[in-house]
Amino acid sequence: MIGATFEAIALRWEGAAVADLGVDTSDLRERLETLSAAGVHVVLVGDGPPEETNRHLSAGPQGPGTLHLCSMQGTALLDVTDVRGGKAGAAPVDTTGPTSVRPLRALGAPDRMAAFLEDRGITGTLILIIDCTAGSATGSEGAGQRGLGEVFPRAVVVSVGGAPVVPEDGVVAPRGGPEHVLSLLDEQLTRRAEHRVPQIDRDPAWTVPLPDDRDHERMAEALAALCNGSSGTRGSRGEVGPDAAPLFVVNGVYAADGHLLPGPVWTGFDCTDAVRPPSVRRLLDLRGGTLYRFGDDSGALRSLRFASVAKPRAMALRVEGPEASLEPGDSVRPPAATSTFRSERTGDRFGATTGDHHSGIAVAARDRITTTDGLRIVERLAAWTAVRTGVARLDEAYEQLTEVEAQGFDRALADHREAWARRWTDAEVTIDGDPEAELAARFAVFHLLSAASDHGESAVGARGMTGSGYAGHVFWDADVFVLPALAAIRPAAARSMLEYRIRRLPAAHAAARALGRDGARFPWESAGDGSDVTPHQVIGPDGTPVDIATGPQEEHIVADVAWAATHYASWTGDAGFLAGPGRPLLVDTARYWASRIETDGDGSGHIRGVVGPDEYHVDVADNAYTNVMARWNLRQGASLLAEDGASDEASRWLDLAASLYDGWDPATQRYEQFHGYFDLEPLLMSEVGTPPIAVDVLLGAERVSGSQLIKQADVLMAHQLVPEALEAGSLRSCLDYYEPRTAHGSSLSPAVSATLLARAGEPERALALFRLAARLDLDNTTGATADGLHLATMGGVWQALAFGFLGLAADEETLVIRPTLPDAWHALTLSFRYVGQPVRVRAEADHVTVTCASPLPVDVDGQGASRCPSGTTSFERAGLRHANECA
Amino acid sequence: MMHVLAALDTSSSARGVLDTALHVGRLTGTTVVAVHVRTGAAEPVDMIEARCEEEGVALRVLSGDPGPILIKALGGPEVAAAVIGGCARPTPTVAGACRVTHAILERTNTPVVVTPQARGTRGEIHRLLLPLEGSDVSSRAVLDQLVPLITADVELEVLHVFTPDTVPAMLDQPAYSLDTLGKEFLSRHCPGADRIALRGGGVVDQVARVSVDDQVDLIVLTWSQSSSPRHAQVVRGVLEGSSMPVLLLPVQPPADSPADTAAVHSTITLVDR
Repeated sequence: MIGATFEAIALRWEGAAVADLGVDTSDLRERLETLSAAGVHVVLVGDGPPEETNRHLSAGPQGPGTLHLCSMQGTALLDVTDVRGGKAGAAPVDTTGPTSVRPLRALGAPDRMAAFLEDRGITGTLILIIDCTAGSATGSEGAGQRGLGEVFPRAVVVSVGGAPVVPEDGVVAPRGGPEHVLSLLDEQLTRRAEHRVPQIDRDPAWTVPLPDDRDHERMAEALAALCNGSSGTRGSRGEVGPDAAPLFVVNGVYAADGHLLPGPVWTGFDCTDAVRPPSVRRLLDLRGGTLYRFGDDSGALRSLRFASVAKPRAMALRVEGPEASLEPGDSVRPPAATSTFRSERTGDRFGATTGDHHSGIAVAARDRITTTDGLRIVERLAAWTAVRTGVARLDEAYEQLTEVEAQGFDRALADHREAWARRWTDAEVTIDGDPEAELAARFAVFHLLSAASDHGESAVGARGMTGSGYAGHVFWDADVFVLPALAAIRPAAARSMLEYRIRRLPAAHAAARALGRDGARFPWESAGDGSDVTPHQVIGPDGTPVDIATGPQEEHIVADVAWAATHYASWTGDAGFLAGPGRPLLVDTARYWASRIETDGDGSGHIRGVVGPDEYHVDVADNAYTNVMARWNLRQGASLLAEDGASDEASRWLDLAASLYDGWDPATQRYEQFHGYFDLEPLLMSEVGTPPIAVDVLLGAERVSGSQLIKQADVLMAHQLVPEALEAGSLRSCLDYYEPRTAHGSSLSPAVSATLLARAGEPERALALFRLAARLDLDNTTGATADGLHLATMGGVWQALAFGFLGLAADEETLVIRPTLPDAWHALTLSFRYVGQPVRVRAEADHVTVTCASPLPVDVDGQGASRCPSGTTSFERAGLRHANECA
Repeated sequence: MMHVLAALDTSSSARGVLDTALHVGRLTGTTVVAVHVRTGAAEPVDMIEARCEEEGVALRVLSGDPGPILIKALGGPEVAAAVIGGCARPTPTVAGACRVTHAILERTNTPVVVTPQARGTRGEIHRLLLPLEGSDVSSRAVLDQLVPLITADVELEVLHVFTPDTVPAMLDQPAYSLDTLGKEFLSRHCPGADRIALRGGGVVDQVARVSVDDQVDLIVLTWSQSSSPRHAQVVRGVLEGSSMPVLLLPVQPPADSPADTAAVHSTITLVDR
């Protein structure tokens, strides 16, 4: 037997399923119908028309697994599954209207079946091929013969026919013909009935191995955090040890202390120390959104865990191992360091809550435990409910659990995988020639897709829901790093992020009033109620408190929120947003700047006493980034006001914008980062060390603040966000000047520089910084991954791919595409959504291929806008790299 | 029966050594035995005898070359730790530590507490400061030597001073990032500690500053027992400048262990758990 559970089976009809066309198929039919009921998809591939196979088999599967019939050479694909009950005729599968923009292939029926399965997240080793000869399975029978192994790459292949002339790698050849086919099907049915742990497709292009040593246990927990936009579960081992920091949180649910409230932990189980499994290997399955554990020895535990993206309140795991070493223990356990955990048990159900009258999380779970031949299998279904204000109700969690139980583990997993497959359709990242960068990029996209919900509001903290770091607090990381990525790959999630800001406008208004100003002043650091939760002080070098300046002075976030709203609207084409609920994000923030700007006697406008993105220099005047963004904000706000006829205020804002000093120095063709910056000690990073370095720790805050060394992109950040608002041609001079002075002492920085260097026609330098950003958490570069993943960096990684290497930009409704690829990348492919439709762009050295669902104006390599018809269009390139400057 | 061995000479520092030994005895849950090495038959020992009798401490009087004799005495299996004066017999050729102290520190495998010149501990030992550079060698010494040694309930504060080798690559928001780095450092190198201070600057300077600011009673250092500049810079500097006793845990460094820090002057942020 094979010893693995499959989600789909491709079965050769003649020679494998049946010895000849006259045999009785009742035994086979019964098994296929039972597999369908168990959720397994089966495709029978015959030599003749599928209608003939259907007449011979006469199966009536009821689903949820499907039964398809086809021939290897033909195009007809019949679905004989009748999910409505009763026997119905076979229905041809119509695949003429793709909902995605994967390349439309001249698909034969088997390939369309492969696409059907891929749409459900079933790929690779999740598929079992049962063929009559290994050669036919792998396509090695002869020239022109395409085998099932080519249709379903990386599938497990079993040949029940004669042995191949040449043994095939990866092909199990037990022979046995149709009798053995029945045995193989019976094994699948048995494994399903025993609730064995499912497997994953261990595709190295889609799976991230986790560190296994105890020193990196907490880092692994963060890397493998399973989040679904609404909740987050760290990837802790079930048998939590002293090195672990298990955590379950719900988006936006903060405790009274302003930190994310730890919820009851649902992933724990007990291992007997005496027979503790020596080897633990874990993989984060990016494609399927699961955490998979296995080992190489017989005593190893196997488990699979997921937090459903199809049903966000549902979570589940299965674990199996030797009876002597595995005990489920309490299915819901207290989080570390909490005094508000309360639990109860009712029969086989376990419920627990954390929190108090301020906020609460309730988790309900039930374990089903079976033991067969010394193997213990634990299946745990769990559900949660939470309240941002008030007391969490356990009865509501039990109700959710009942729904999960009715669905069952297998169905829930199938729905979850299918939902992830849909997500990846709009978020494809393929980097031909650089598998390491590709996997790192997919890892970033995975966690971006997991960070925010499609509904309501989403507070996307600096570390998301992957750890307790930064207490779940929201910074500009969300608005200008994460949101631009989600606006393209998951627009509904971006909208929910903006909803968080919209619902905190009252607090922003109050903050402005408290300072004697108008409009809305969003806080530097935000949590539940939108007030400023930036720490006030930190203990300084001499043991005395030092005031933290970011809260009172890092005000560029006001414009960052406005920018996020505008970017979302223009990228998604959500025409009603800025006219409707998003309007205050643009107008009220502009109103704040209008009251913030100081006008000197000469009529020049200034913003003094601020901190820019570069936090090494505080209390500066006229930070270029802040002023450029404020000016942009005023102009955008004025435009909206003018549309509504408020011309006087709009006119005043435009005058203020025009008066605002931005640090532009015509003599040097660059922007001065803040007033007096050019007079500071001209220290370069080449004199200090190789970035990234926290030079404030290395050299001292005082020395650094008196020098030109900067923490991260500051002036260059303006080039990233509003290149059209800057002097044309200034990107090059600013890059040449500021990049050598940048310590990259912030995790937000490298990806920004990568984007701009690519845009400026330096893809090799861009690639080095891209790699640093893409592997930041995988390599634990900051030493702080244990407390949570750096979501802003991940957003920056996607932006570097899209806005840097692919050179994407929105110009009204035209999609600008100006790729600049490093030599190591033979091609870069991204899929995303743009102005409401799915788009796929593949860039190579000599051409760009655009696939879109409906006609789309595009401008490739500055050749001018052209209307790209629906489908796939290829654009020839000049073959030269472009020194593209958007500013 | 395990005991703390107090090496007493006839100088004024002997009182401090004996007092410190008594506190270390309570720290380690052991008795105290004093030893004096007579360098000549005529050397008076009555004052030492009187002090020991006053404190109820057994006294062994030996004769001969103090260095080798004390090294042998410290090596006994029943000796949990030793206490010696920072300058038992001063010589003008070795600043700070004297010849005998120097010899003992270089050769014994027993944890040794060195008292400041002419002073002992201020009182009971409640708070320990443990500077760690973050090497496995030092962490192992803490686990293998310090943890089994201490039976009393004490506060343990770890100090890590960033060096060019260990300075973080990135600090997004220091108030949060340093807290995470501190927790990770403790989890990896000293899980039982009560808190950690993360600093930048010269290691010796920061040890002195933190020990005074945080009112520690005992500084604990791991030491490779090599007097070469590379290995002994921090130990020498702390011994010379400390106003409180220093417990030295002997370790064997790997060949590529980092050099003691050069002067690194920078911002310092204290992170309290």
